[in-house]
Amino acid sequence: MTTTLSTADSSTDPQRGLDKWIGSITERATQEGMLSAILVPVASVLAALLVGAALIVFDGSNPFSVYGAILRGVFTKPRGFSDTATAATPLILIAIGYALAYRARVFTIGGEGQYLVGAVAGTALVTAAGFRDLPRPILIAAGLLAAIVAGAIWSGIAGWLGVRFGASIVISTLMLGFIGDSVLQWAVRDGIRDPDSFIANSRLLGDAELPGLPGTTTHIGFLLALLVVPIAWWFVSRHRAGFRIDALGHNPAALDANEYPSSKIVIGVMLAAGALAGLAGMVEIAGVNGRLGQEASVGFGWDAIIVALLGRLHPVGVLIAGIGMAGLTIGFQSSQRELALPSSLVSLITALIVIFVVFGDALATRMKERR
Amino acid sequence: MNTSSSMNDVDVSSETVLADMRQVTRRFGDTVALDGVNLELRAGEIHALLGANGAGKTTLMRILAGLDSPNEGSVEVLGQPVENFDPGELRERGVALVQQHFTLVPTLTASENLILARPTGALLPNRRESAARLNELAERYGLSVRDGIPAGDLSVGEQQRLELLRALDADAKILLLDEPTAVLTDSEAERLLDVAQSLASQGRSLVIITHRLAEVAACDRVTVLREGREVITNGAVADYDRSDLASAMIGSETSGTFTQRGERSFTPGTARLKIEDLSLDRVSGLSLTVDVGEIVGIAGVDGNGQSEVEAALSGRVAPEHGAVSIDGAPIVGGDPRARRAQGLAYIPSDRYSWGLIQAMELSDNLELGRVPRIRPPRTERHAAAQPDLDHWDVRAAGPHAKAGSLSGGNAQKLVLARELVSGSKAVLACYPTRGLDPEAADTVATRLVEAAEGGAGILWIGAELDELLAVADRIEVLSDGALFGPFLPPFDREAIGLAMAGGGLLNQDDQG
Repeated sequence: MTTTLSTADSSTDPQRGLDKWIGSITERATQEGMLSAILVPVASVLAALLVGAALIVFDGSNPFSVYGAILRGVFTKPRGFSDTATAATPLILIAIGYALAYRARVFTIGGEGQYLVGAVAGTALVTAAGFRDLPRPILIAAGLLAAIVAGAIWSGIAGWLGVRFGASIVISTLMLGFIGDSVLQWAVRDGIRDPDSFIANSRLLGDAELPGLPGTTTHIGFLLALLVVPIAWWFVSRHRAGFRIDALGHNPAALDANEYPSSKIVIGVMLAAGALAGLAGMVEIAGVNGRLGQEASVGFGWDAIIVALLGRLHPVGVLIAGIGMAGLTIGFQSSQRELALPSSLVSLITALIVIFVVFGDALATRMKERR
Repeated sequence: MNTSSSMNDVDVSSETVLADMRQVTRRFGDTVALDGVNLELRAGEIHALLGANGAGKTTLMRILAGLDSPNEGSVEVLGQPVENFDPGELRERGVALVQQHFTLVPTLTASENLILARPTGALLPNRRESAARLNELAERYGLSVRDGIPAGDLSVGEQQRLELLRALDADAKILLLDEPTAVLTDSEAERLLDVAQSLASQGRSLVIITHRLAEVAACDRVTVLREGREVITNGAVADYDRSDLASAMIGSETSGTFTQRGERSFTPGTARLKIEDLSLDRVSGLSLTVDVGEIVGIAGVDGNGQSEVEAALSGRVAPEHGAVSIDGAPIVGGDPRARRAQGLAYIPSDRYSWGLIQAMELSDNLELGRVPRIRPPRTERHAAAQPDLDHWDVRAAGPHAKAGSLSGGNAQKLVLARELVSGSKAVLACYPTRGLDPEAADTVATRLVEAAEGGAGILWIGAELDELLAVADRIEVLSDGALFGPFLPPFDREAIGLAMAGGGLLNQDDQG
């Protein structure tokens, strides 16, 4: 029919329905200028802490002593910095992947599932007979590689469903996340269960564990995350694929007509986001847990969405937001017992941050339009 | 309720005026869409409203339907002057507009769409009742529509009949059909005209907007607009022959905004761009060759296959059949960089959809389609873009400005700066001057002529006939998905106008 030709070809437009709605949120998150780049995230964090303070008062505590304890938890406790770095590592890795996808306005929220599938695949490989006796560097690399591939495939499925059949990537990544959790449960109970262990978990990783960072209690995975940030930065600003990602986010029809098929970029960012999330999963198991258990799902894949948005979809912003979010969590954890506060306070404050960021972006857009 | 009784309050005498528009003027900013236009609709008549693109036909109908209001002039419906131009009020008074783009809910069935437009109460009628209502209407007016499947899955003809039924369900006395036959097959169009005649014979008044002169024969009176002014007002169809109407639509003298280009030479028989037996949707079996240095103008009314030709040639959509080649090498679809490497420049009809990325910088937009794998630093990219911007006279704050900040003319020059690099072998230029002021349009035309002088073969799909007459070495008319021509200089304006209005087809039928 003629009408399908007269507008941008809707079949190649990855943004429809739910995805389009979420798109308006990330669209605003990538606006240029000081207002949306710095003021909105900083003001949102402050506003969230303010509302958090009101709730702490309501709970009968002194907000100053609570926030003071959180700061002391990070800055004065012996393990404060190390634990923050450890907690920031998976957040940064997953959020960089989200940022790439969101720049293209491809709305994956499947980081958690990809993280788990990556952890399962990596653990399965390094604990398998015949592999676990490999030299240590090769074993570590093989485990991380297996996790990268598994995460990329898990994410790529959703990308392919979206491109081929027009399935909402929001929905399919969400659902694949649940399946990813089931894969984990099956793996630790049956698939790769340690036969000598009474509880359901994998064998110990042994030689596949990541070495620690000298002088700290964190592991080299943090260096890996720090390395990914400049690479991603270079990628988005200097590599052709980064240009295409941004072009897809701003005008898929023009990308299709002049530069490159947009569907391939959709698949590309989905593979990249999945690879980074899968990598994060194995880094966490090999760097912190030492073995894969039922409790591996702790929600880094969800928190990283907030990190990506708060970091304004920029690798450096993601680094700052990831460390900040990790610091909040660690500081609260180490002071939780002495303050006797509900453990939901941190998730409450992060949720408030999201609300304020979304609100602030909408406000900034409106102010820009007024001008 | 049946038709005869409901129409009783209107005298069916053919002298009864159902609607009268007098000296209607409508301005949009500086452009005058309608300039003192008159239109009279009598009971029992089909009134043809003719005009080229942008003549003001749709604006006139939107005003009568209350979707727009005039700056000056008066409108009377059923003898009462219209004070509020409000679509709901005019619908109540019996005016129904069937727009070119249908307004059905695609996921609802035919009967559900009917109920939605005119609910009978707080509760929805059950399926049997609503189906009965649809059937009764369909039978009475001879407009068959399948029920029970989503309206979006109905054929275009059925969707249109459903739109009509919805208007008739509301007991419309004045039916305005905006290019009803543009989307229909020939037999469907014939059937629609039959239905229109029977509706008119019941005392209604119908307006049919059309470009096709053949359809005017089925009408009683005709009004022709050109550039917002009336050329023929409420004339009896019998008084005009086809060429009168064609020259009324197209005009007989050049409007003077386009300067005639000097003599250029092109090399006949050296096919640069070759289209062989191309078929896609409306277009079927289209063949065309553009030689080295030649400018071929495709004239025609929008919607006669222009968008299909554009989509297939630019590689955006794979044709159902046929091939496009440049210097003998076939163009691959779905690979824009390969298309560019082959030397085919593409100036899209909608520069903001397919030509530019408004949220990105000018330098980024210039790189679209030829971004190196590793890009230089941003400042170097800006420095590299500056000479191009200067050469093409793209007026902006600098290479870092967003493409969205450009005026229409500068945005188009940015597209040209990217597309018309040296070495372009062929240019697909789709409405390259659309929406530009005369000065910018002239610059764009000059640049395209320069490209032709440089040896490129140019296929110029245009809406402004004057413009094509000024630049083209040959004009082909695209009508109903097929080409009619060639028309060679000195151009016979009237013959081209007749072909644009479907006369090409008619002449063939007459001979056959």
